[in-house]
Amino acid sequence: MTNTSEEPDANAALRVRNLSKSYPGVRAIQDVSLTVRAGEVHGLVGANGAGKSTLLKAIAGAIMQDSGSIEVWGKELPGGDPHRAAEAGLAMIYQELTIVPDMSALSNVLLGRLPRRLGFVDRGKARKEYAAAALLVESTVTPSSRAGDLSTAAQQQLEVMRALASGRRLIIMDEPTASLGPEDIRRLHKVIGTLKTEGHSVVYVSHDLGAVLEVCDNVTVLREGVVVQTLPANEWDHHGLVRTMLGEVTLDAAGPPAPGDALAVEPFLRVEGLRAPGVDLALLEVGRGEIVGLAGLVGSGRTRLLRALAGAGTIDAGSLWVSGRERRWPRTPRQATRMGVALGPEDRKAQGLVLGRPSAWNVALGRFGVASAGRPVKLEGLIRWATPATERVGFASSRLSANAGTLSGGNQQKLILARLLSRPAPCLILDEPTRGIDIGAKAQVFDAMRQIARDGRAVIWTSSEIEEVVHHSDRILVLAGGRVVAELARGATVHDILDLSFAATSAAERRTAAAA
Amino acid sequence: MTGNSFTGTQRTSRAALALRSYGIVVALVILVVIIAIIQPNFLAFGNLMNIVSQWSPVAIMGIGMTYVVITGGFDLSIGAVYTLCAVIAAAVGRTEAPIVAFALAITVGLAVGVINGLVVTGLRVNAFIATLGTQLIITGLTLVLTGNAAFIVTFDQFKVLGAGRAFGIPYSGMLMVALMIIGGLILAYTPFGQAIYAVGGNKEASRLAGIPTSTTIASSYAIAGLCAGIAGTVSASQLSSAQANLNPTIVFDVLTVVIVGGTLLTGGSGAIWRTAVGVGILAALQNGFNLLNVSPYYQDIIKGIIIIAAIAQLDWRRLLGPSMKREVAAERPEPTRNKAEFTSTLSKETS
Repeated sequence: MTNTSEEPDANAALRVRNLSKSYPGVRAIQDVSLTVRAGEVHGLVGANGAGKSTLLKAIAGAIMQDSGSIEVWGKELPGGDPHRAAEAGLAMIYQELTIVPDMSALSNVLLGRLPRRLGFVDRGKARKEYAAAALLVESTVTPSSRAGDLSTAAQQQLEVMRALASGRRLIIMDEPTASLGPEDIRRLHKVIGTLKTEGHSVVYVSHDLGAVLEVCDNVTVLREGVVVQTLPANEWDHHGLVRTMLGEVTLDAAGPPAPGDALAVEPFLRVEGLRAPGVDLALLEVGRGEIVGLAGLVGSGRTRLLRALAGAGTIDAGSLWVSGRERRWPRTPRQATRMGVALGPEDRKAQGLVLGRPSAWNVALGRFGVASAGRPVKLEGLIRWATPATERVGFASSRLSANAGTLSGGNQQKLILARLLSRPAPCLILDEPTRGIDIGAKAQVFDAMRQIARDGRAVIWTSSEIEEVVHHSDRILVLAGGRVVAELARGATVHDILDLSFAATSAAERRTAAAA
Repeated sequence: MTGNSFTGTQRTSRAALALRSYGIVVALVILVVIIAIIQPNFLAFGNLMNIVSQWSPVAIMGIGMTYVVITGGFDLSIGAVYTLCAVIAAAVGRTEAPIVAFALAITVGLAVGVINGLVVTGLRVNAFIATLGTQLIITGLTLVLTGNAAFIVTFDQFKVLGAGRAFGIPYSGMLMVALMIIGGLILAYTPFGQAIYAVGGNKEASRLAGIPTSTTIASSYAIAGLCAGIAGTVSASQLSSAQANLNPTIVFDVLTVVIVGGTLLTGGSGAIWRTAVGVGILAALQNGFNLLNVSPYYQDIIKGIIIIAAIAQLDWRRLLGPSMKREVAAERPEPTRNKAEFTSTLSKETS
């Protein structure tokens, strides 16, 4: 076993010591230490919420750590300062690329640092710098082409070239293979190999364990904000990684006791052959009184699937049966609501609520006519109408006249749940209803979901916290790459789901690799 | 009812909110009092009724503009629609019964409003650009149709709507008040009115909650067109004539009354009563200036200042903060004490 923290500083590209960062109620990372040597490719893996994003953000200076130090190429960083991090030689390539689409490839690579002569851009020198970087990553993109017209792989190359052209020799890649085809992944790995021989260092963060094992020299596993283990890649295998990511914690396999809820399942919604951008679903059936949970890694297509079902996203193909009758696919959320499918969206503030309006008004949003029973719409009437639904989700009635924007995240979520509860829709879709809310509010959300199911309605929901999905669903669909890769009954474990997810993510890439 | 559940800090913020909400009414009252003291003739019944008659077209158009602005949109074309409808009313009114001319003009206004709505929602053109385009088209069309000729109506009945009075009160003023009440009630108390606020407050949330956002937004432009049609008709009737260059800058007066009243250009908040107060302020100012013989050039300068002052959100704390810090630092160069004092003054202000 290598104990990296004892090596000398001189050739360390990145040295993180005892880094900790907490958010209110959550310890995101705790006492994380990590060393990446010059010319090393270092893999970083962990389940959703293991603290990878927080660690990357702290290293890149996007957030300020609570304690601990970060050194890049021997230079101590003050923390919370992305410019200093970049000056020290660190380049961060996020999954969401930062290409300026309307500018040329050359301008993108030399963004903000075009060589000048007498106040004008020195075109000859710029071309030379571009060509040097292009040679290293074997890019064939012409400097004058518009960046927005290029493929994702080519845009990613531009980002790598940007890092190289500015002399930054520590490159951190967050999910670099997420939107690449197998051929592009092969090329990316080749480029990483070249960078390595040039003495550059790469931190490679990915859910694709096959790719991590293939390209990395060492792999660090994070779990619940703590470094569990760092080993050379050849001492890891796929199962070992998954096991380490999950740990030896005894997972409650039984789920909450509610066997009486498994009513005679009457299918309400049936979806066949749904194809939408990033979604490919063969069959989905949901019965009344059932809670169906979608589990998957970030980027597995959960939100896209839910939005498609609620008429909020565009679809390419798909057939829909509601209560046994075939219906036209809803083109707007309004049509879906009329069919009996209502959505509680992922982003409460941006998609769920009108923040400058009272809470009761937000519960009635979209149904003002019904809420005021044909009489003039007044706040007192809306409050009276919204009270039963808000009481069921545990929202304090005294706050119904307060503006939605003044509420906590948990109370905002309860408002959205109350809105769905107050509609006659037999099928409710909840996208991340527990994101960023405290434990008490979570318990009330789960309680409300159970009540909704007991009313004989169907619930389809998802959470990034797979453990929540396991504990609070009657049936779990495991999603990877927009497909349902497995269907599990109550009693499945987080381990099962992650194993299936990671296997499917790697398998899908191997399959397409074989085809190519 | 819910008041006792509010804590102290919330009560103060409520008082601040009330001042921000109703401060504009206070401003109008102060303005009226000042003008009345300097020039008591201002409050004479005849003068007030003249003001009402003069401002009724702007006020009526302000209703429609308020709807559009609350949805988060903007309608630059209503001035052109107003002129087109006035010209139509006058041109048709020369030979046909006034009721026919008025109905036709108002229908055309509504139709242009519907087209505006379709361009904004169906073709997804930015509201500013869309109505800038239709404004040019309509103005051009008006000139093509009339050759900038003036249409003069000689029927006396044609004048009744604009210039007629009952007990000294102009019909145009009664119409203005009636439309403001109807427009205000629809906006405040109907599901449609609440949908207008909803799409302006958060369009995506409204869409996901099942509100037909495109129809709602398009309707606001239709209402704006309808109001412009009615306003154009009133003006044609008042003057017994109309011409393509009737009042090319009326759209700015309309926008001014809406904004000065406190309806936010960002959408989601505002009210018809606010527009009514805005009309009151602008009308009182202008009439006061005229009574005091202020040159029209100065009037424009003052109007401009008032518009900016109405929109400006001065963050006094931020303006004062740094200079305060500088003064303290210059006087007493002990960093820790300065900092402590500075933060304590800040927290006093924020609490």
